[in-house]
Amino acid sequence: MKSRQMIHFLLFFSILGAVLDVSLGDDPSESYWLLRVKAQLNDPSGVLNNWSPEVHVCGWYGVTCSDDQLKMVGLNLTNSGLSGTISPEYGFLASLEMLDLSSNSLTGSIPPELSKLQNLKSLLLYSNSLSSEIPVELGLLKKLQVLRIGDNLLSGKIIPDIGNLSELRVLGLAYCQFKGSIPLEIGNLKNLMSLDLQKNRLSGQIPQEISSCEVLENFAASNNMLEGDIPSWVGSLKKLQILNLANNSLTGPIPTEIGGLSNLRYLNLLSNRLTGEIPRELNGLVQLEMLDLSENNLSGSISLSSTQLKNLNALFLSDNMLTGGLPNNFCWSSSSLKQLILARNELSGKFPLELINCSSLQQLDLSDNNFEGSLPSSLDKLQKLTDLLLNNNSFTGVLPPEIGNISTLENLYLFDNMITGSIPEQLGKLDKLSTLYLYDNQMTGSIPRELTDCSSLTAIDFFGNHFSGSIPATIGRLKNLVVLHLRQNEFSGPVPPSLGYCTKLQLLALADNKLSGTLPPTFQFLSELSTITLYNNSLEGPLPESFFLLKSLRKINFSHNRFEGTITALCGLNLLTALDLTNNSFSGPIPSTLGMSMNLTRIRLAHNHLTGNIPSQLGQLSELTFLDLSFNNLDGNVPSQLSNCGKLEHLLLSNNNYTGAIPSWLGGLEELGELDLSSNALQGSIPRELGNCSKLLKLSLHSNNLSGVIPLEIGNLIALNVLDLQKNKLSGTIPSTIQQCKKLFELRLSENFLTGPIPSELGQLTELQVILDLSRNSFSGEIPSSLGNMVKLERLNLSSNQLQGEVPPSLRKLTSLHMLNLSNNHLQGRLPLTFSGFPLSSFLGNKELCGPPLALCSSQAMEKSLSKGEVAGIVAAIVFVSALICLTMLYMMVRIWCNWRRVLISSSEGSGAELKREEMWIHGNEKRRNNGDYWKMNSWLAPSHEKHPSSTCIFQLKMDVESPDRTSL
Amino acid sequence: MGLFSLSCLLLPIFLSLSPALSTNSEGNALHALRTRLSDPNNMLQSWDPTLVNPCTWFHVTCDTNNHVIRLDLGNSNVSGTLGPELGQLKHLRYLELYMNGLVGKIPKELGNLKKLVSMDLYGNKLEGQIPKAFAKLKSLRFLRLNNNKLTGPIPKELTTLSNLKVLDVSNNALCGTIPVDGPFASFPMESFENNRLSGPELKGLVPYDFGC
Repeated sequence: MKSRQMIHFLLFFSILGAVLDVSLGDDPSESYWLLRVKAQLNDPSGVLNNWSPEVHVCGWYGVTCSDDQLKMVGLNLTNSGLSGTISPEYGFLASLEMLDLSSNSLTGSIPPELSKLQNLKSLLLYSNSLSSEIPVELGLLKKLQVLRIGDNLLSGKIIPDIGNLSELRVLGLAYCQFKGSIPLEIGNLKNLMSLDLQKNRLSGQIPQEISSCEVLENFAASNNMLEGDIPSWVGSLKKLQILNLANNSLTGPIPTEIGGLSNLRYLNLLSNRLTGEIPRELNGLVQLEMLDLSENNLSGSISLSSTQLKNLNALFLSDNMLTGGLPNNFCWSSSSLKQLILARNELSGKFPLELINCSSLQQLDLSDNNFEGSLPSSLDKLQKLTDLLLNNNSFTGVLPPEIGNISTLENLYLFDNMITGSIPEQLGKLDKLSTLYLYDNQMTGSIPRELTDCSSLTAIDFFGNHFSGSIPATIGRLKNLVVLHLRQNEFSGPVPPSLGYCTKLQLLALADNKLSGTLPPTFQFLSELSTITLYNNSLEGPLPESFFLLKSLRKINFSHNRFEGTITALCGLNLLTALDLTNNSFSGPIPSTLGMSMNLTRIRLAHNHLTGNIPSQLGQLSELTFLDLSFNNLDGNVPSQLSNCGKLEHLLLSNNNYTGAIPSWLGGLEELGELDLSSNALQGSIPRELGNCSKLLKLSLHSNNLSGVIPLEIGNLIALNVLDLQKNKLSGTIPSTIQQCKKLFELRLSENFLTGPIPSELGQLTELQVILDLSRNSFSGEIPSSLGNMVKLERLNLSSNQLQGEVPPSLRKLTSLHMLNLSNNHLQGRLPLTFSGFPLSSFLGNKELCGPPLALCSSQAMEKSLSKGEVAGIVAAIVFVSALICLTMLYMMVRIWCNWRRVLISSSEGSGAELKREEMWIHGNEKRRNNGDYWKMNSWLAPSHEKHPSSTCIFQLKMDVESPDRTSL
Repeated sequence: MGLFSLSCLLLPIFLSLSPALSTNSEGNALHALRTRLSDPNNMLQSWDPTLVNPCTWFHVTCDTNNHVIRLDLGNSNVSGTLGPELGQLKHLRYLELYMNGLVGKIPKELGNLKKLVSMDLYGNKLEGQIPKAFAKLKSLRFLRLNNNKLTGPIPKELTTLSNLKVLDVSNNALCGTIPVDGPFASFPMESFENNRLSGPELKGLVPYDFGC
C-alpha cells in the first residue's frame, strides 16, 4: 500500500512539475528542482514543510539566496533528520555555492550530477550513510574549497581526480572505508589547509608529494594501515598545527625535523612501531599542547622538558621501553602540564622529585616501571592532583601522611610495591578520594577510623598486606563503597554490623583473615551485593536468616570457617552461580530450594554435618558443573534426577552413608571428569555404562561394598588417570581391556576378591607412575614379565596374593621403583639383582624365593662374576676358613671321638659384626633359617627340610659388603 | 582533541580498575601456560582463572594445602612453548608434559621447582640446552628429556643431584662428554644413546673436552 501511495505521490509531483515547467517556460525554476529533491527525501520532523509553491523559494527552510534574491546560493539541510537518497537533480541548482547535507541519514551513492554545480565552493555530506565510491566527476568542481564527505560508508580508492580541485582548502575523508594508498595528486592542492584521512583502511607510505601542500595546518591520517617511516619532509610543513598519525604501522625513528614545526600544537604518534630515542629537538615545539608517543618501541631516556615545552598540557609516553629517570629541569614553576602518563616503561631511579614543580599536574601515571625508594613527603605540593598512579613499581618506605593534603585526589593506586608502615590517618581528609588501591604491599597496622571519613570512597583494595586489628566499626559511613577487598591480611575481631549500611557494596572479600564472631543481621541491607568471600576465617554461628533477601548474590564462598546451623538462608537466590561452604559445621538437610538457583554452576558443601538425602530438585540445575557433597552424613540413594545435570564435570559424594547401587545413568554424564563415590555403603556391581564417560580422569569407588566383576567397558575410559577400586568385594579377573587406559598413572585394585592371573596386557600401561596396587586379592599364576615395561612405576604392590613362579627378570627394568611389595605369595626362584636394595619385608612370606636381600641362591653364588681382586680375596678367605674348618673338624672329631657330645660350629668366628647381624635375622626368621647344607657337615646340626639351593655364610658376607642398602635392615 | 586526550588518560585507568580478586600465583602461572599453548583437544577448558585456586582444574592435582603438586598433560596434543612462569609452582612434584608438541627452550626457571620429583618432558620438540639451573632440583629423582631436539652439553652440575635415580636424555642432539660422578655412575648407556656425545668424561687427564 505504502509503495503504491508513494508512486501516486511521485506521479503527482511529476505532473505538477510538468505544469510548472509549462508555466515557467523552458527554464525550470530552482523551486521546481527543490521540490523534486524533496520528493527523494523522508522528512519525519517536517523541516521541509514550508517548501511549497506558496512561499518564495528564498524563504524555504535551509535556502540562502543572493542579496538580490535572484539566485539561490546556499542550501543547508544539516542535522535535519532527513533520510532517503541524494537526488541527481541537485545538479540543476546551478547557482549553488554551498551545499550542506551533513549529519542526516542519507543513503545511496553520491550522484555524479553534483559535478554540474560549477559554482560550488563547499560540499558537506559528512555523517550520513552514503555508500559506494566517490564519483570521479567530483574532480570537475573547479571552485570547490571545502569537501567534507567523511563518516559515511564510502569505499574504494580515494580518487586521484581530487587533485584537480586546485582551490581546495579543506578535504575531509575520515571515518569511511577507503582503501589503497593516499593519492599522490593531493600534492597538487597548494591551498590545502586541512587533510583528514583518519579511520580508513589506507595503506602504503605517506606520499612525498604532500610536502607540496605548504599551507597545510591539519594533517590527520590516524587509524589506517600506513607503513614506512615518518617522512622527514614533514618538518617543511611549517604551518602545521595538528599532526595525527596514531594507530598505523609506521616504523623507524621520529624525524628530528618535526622539532622545527614551531606552530605545532598537537602531535600524536600513538601506537605505531617507532623505534629509537625521542629526539631532543622536540623541545623546540614551543606551541605544543599535546604530545602522545605511547605504544611504540621507543627507547633511551626522556629528554623532553616542560621547561621548554611551555604550552604542553598533556604528555603521553606510556608503553615504550624508555629508561632512566626524568631530566632535572623537567618542570618549571608555571608549567601547564596537567597530564603526565609514563606507565609501562623501564624507567628507574627514585621518585622523580622534578615533578613536584609541575604544580598544574592533575594526572600522574608512573605505573609499571622500575621506580624505587620512598615516596616524597612533598607530594602534597601537587595541589591539583586527581589521579596518582604509582602501582607496579618497587617503591619502599611508608605512605607519606602529607598525601592527605592533596585535597583534590580521587584515585590513588599504589598496588604491587613494597610499601611498609600503616595507613596515615591524614588520608581521612581526602573527601574526594574514590579509589584506594594498596594491594600487594607489605603494609601493617590497622585501618584508621579516619579513613571512614573519606565519604567518596567507592573502591578499597588492601589485598595481600599485613593489616591487622579489626575492621573499623564506622565502616558503614562509606555509603558509596562498591568494592571492599581485604583478603589475605591479618584482620581480627568481628565483622562490624555497620558494614551492612554500605548499601552499594557489590564485592565484599574478607577471606584469608582471622575474623571471628557471627555475621551481623544488617547484611540484609546489602541488596546490591554480588560476590561475598569470607573463606579461611574463624567466623561462627548460624547465618542471618535474612540472607535470602540478597537477591543480587552470585558468588558465595564461606568455606573453612566455623559456621553452623542450616544452610536454608543461602538457598533460593535466583542469580547464584557458585556456593562454597566447604569445611564448616553446617547441619540439617540440603534444602530443596537450592534447586531454585537455576544458574548454579558450582556447589561445594563438603566437610560439614549435613544429613538426609540429596534433594531431587538439584536435578533442575542444568548448568551445574561441580557438585561436592563429600564428608557429610548424607544417606539414601543418589537421586536419578541428577542425570539431568548434563554438564557435571565433578561429582564428589565420598565419605557419606549412601546406599544402593551405583546408578547406571552416570554413564550419561558426558562431561564427567571426576567421579568420587568412595567410602560409602554402595552395593551391587559397577555399572558398565560408566564406560561411556569418556572424559573421565579420576574414578574413585574404593571402600564400598561393591561386588561383581570389573566391567570390560572400563577399557573405554581412555582418558583415565586414576582408578581406585580398592576395599570392595569385587571378584573375577582384571579385564584385559584395561590396557586401553593408556593414561593411567595410578591404579589401585587392592583388598578385593579378584582372581585369575594378572593380565599381561597390564604391561601396556607404560605411564603408570604413582602406584600399581593389586595387593590382598587372590591373584594366581605368574607375575607377567610385561610389567617390566612400566618403567615409570614408582610403587608396586602385589603382596598377599597367590602368585607363583619366578619373579620375571624383566622387572629389573623398573628403574623408577622405590616401593616394592611381593610379600606373602608363593613366588620362588631368584630375585633380580637390582632388587637387592629393597628391604626384606618386600619379599617375606614367599617360601621359595631367594637372592638378596633374601638368602642367596647357591647357583647364583657360583654364577656371579667377580673381579680379580674379589676372586683373590674370596680364594684367600676360602683357604683360610677351610683351614680353620678343617682344624676345627679335626678338633671336633677328636672331641666327638672322645666325648660324643654336641658341639656348635661357628663357621667363621673371625668375621665380627656382619656375622652377628646375619645371625640375628636368621633367628628372627626361624623357618627360613640358613639351610647351609652345602657343607654337609652342618646338616646333622640343623636338618634342612627345604629343597632349594643354598649358600654359605661366606658368600652372604660378601653380598653384605656389596649392597650397603642392607644396612637398612 | 580534548576527547582524545581524555580517552588516552582513562584507558590505563580502566585497564587497572579491576581489583586484584585473585593473586594465587600458582593459578596465574598455570593460566599463563594455558595462554602459551595451542590446545585442539580442549584439555585446558576447565582452567578458569577466576577460581580461588587451580585445584579443581582438570589435569592439576593439589595437596591438602591447595598447593599444586602435579601437572598431568602428557600425551595431550598440546603445542607451544613453556614459559618462566612455571617456576612459580613452588610445590610441584610431578611435571608431566611428555609426548606433546612443545617447542622452544626449556625455561631455566624450572630450576626453581625445589620440590620436583619427576620431570617428564620426553617426546616433544624442545630445543636449546639442558638448563644448568636443574642442579637446584635437589628432590629430583626422575628426569626424562629423551626424544627432543636438545643441544649443547649435559651440564656437569647435574652430578650434584644426589637423589636422581633415572635420567634419560637419549635421542637428542647433545654433545660433549657424559659426566661420570654422582648419580651418573649408575645410569645405563641407553640413557645417552642417539646423541652427539663423545663418550664418558675422562677423569684425571688433561681435559680434552673442547665443548661441542
